[in-house]
Amino acid sequence: MTAVSYLSTHVRVVGALLVREMSTRFGSKPGGYIWALLDPAAHILLMTLIFRGIARAPALGTSFALFFATGYIAFQFYQAMTGYLNSAVRANKALLSYPNVAPIDTIVARFILQVGTTSLVAFVVLGTLVTTMRIETDLHWPAILEAGAMACLFGLGVALVNSVLFLKYPLYEQVFNIVNRPLFLISGVFFLPDSIPAPYHDLVLINPLVHIIMSFRQGFYPEYRAIGLDMDYLYGIAFLTFFAGMLVFTLSRKTLRNE
Amino acid sequence: MIRFEQATKYARTKGIKKPIIEDVSLTLNRGKSVGLLGRNGAGKSTLLRLIAGAIKLDNGRIIRRGKISWPLGFAGSFQGSMTGEQNVRFVARIYGVNTEELIAYVEDFAELGPFFRAPVGTYSSGMKARLAFGLSMGVNFDYYLVDEITAVGDTNFKKKCQAVFETKLQDSDLIMVSHSTGTIRTYCHCGVVLEKGKLTYYEDVEDAIRAHDKNMKEN
Repeated sequence: MTAVSYLSTHVRVVGALLVREMSTRFGSKPGGYIWALLDPAAHILLMTLIFRGIARAPALGTSFALFFATGYIAFQFYQAMTGYLNSAVRANKALLSYPNVAPIDTIVARFILQVGTTSLVAFVVLGTLVTTMRIETDLHWPAILEAGAMACLFGLGVALVNSVLFLKYPLYEQVFNIVNRPLFLISGVFFLPDSIPAPYHDLVLINPLVHIIMSFRQGFYPEYRAIGLDMDYLYGIAFLTFFAGMLVFTLSRKTLRNE
Repeated sequence: MIRFEQATKYARTKGIKKPIIEDVSLTLNRGKSVGLLGRNGAGKSTLLRLIAGAIKLDNGRIIRRGKISWPLGFAGSFQGSMTGEQNVRFVARIYGVNTEELIAYVEDFAELGPFFRAPVGTYSSGMKARLAFGLSMGVNFDYYLVDEITAVGDTNFKKKCQAVFETKLQDSDLIMVSHSTGTIRTYCHCGVVLEKGKLTYYEDVEDAIRAHDKNMKEN
């Protein structure tokens, strides 16, 4: 097989998988793709209502909704990605019996779909919030895009590793889920890591998601200083995870094909 | 043509390592349908997956000239949550054939009625077999890899299979796994016996069946 026909097969397969994923993920529910939007929007609304009752003002700016939405959506770029991609190979197991379909194709298709979905959610939810706010906001796009891209890359890397390890070690899946769940609480969706006292501040900053959320928020709050934000660290972790994931995934072809 | 060159494959499950084929060199030429015989668990289905290219050898290589189908079997290559039609669309896309033509062909062949637009998970094994069979016949391959699939289905379906095979076999070949020597006789000219990691080729399918029967008696 020549390189061109090899590549064109991959493109065809990813295209077919994209259609398949879209039709089974949302197509079977009434309302369809609307849920991809409604679910995070409802989540943010709920959190906003709860915290408005508890606190007087958000840690940044004046809008609770914008504060949570920026944190939550930045977090979702990672969390929704891994959640969806972890099972990409497993969910398409039957289709892997076609020699044309490679395990990586299932990952690529879901990655494209998830980047698209979360970006759409970000545009609609954050767009609505920013345009309806009384105070004019200057968006700093590079910070937003950087944070989103790193979150996707990091999530992809984690999912590549997980795809293999979940199949090899079912116990690891349990452990991962236990560790992954509280991430939502400690990644700075609700609070600013800047406000954490000294010994714990450094601990919190080990978590790359904290940096993702800080960078993302910088794009919406020009006055936000984001003390401790280290983009080099974030890039390092994200690329390292991604390369490790590619390596593990490539070396584990047999496990993924279920031989 | 399909040629094995010093091909080796081990099956590993839970620490048990078992040879499927060990250092096999063999050429299967175009124009002859091959019956693949071997005892239960010898690795006939794995061998078909190897020929298809769905799994890779541990050592050596398989040279393929011509378009080879995926293995058509019970286990099925269908995604249960997708409808029959969606599965057909998927295959049309990944093999780059006309989607609407393939759907029309398969819908007519498989005779699933309204079930064609129901999730494959709701199908009986006979219905799945009809869908799988119709689908692969709708895409033109030089080699069709058939794993026991003609054993399912009623007489009507078997007749249909036979009819479509007869037209297909004019320019395509079969590589068929079946425990029914009758089926093998009907479709295959020559035979290959898989025993203890070795492939033995027999020009006449009757010799292959005889050798296989002898293996079974020796145990």
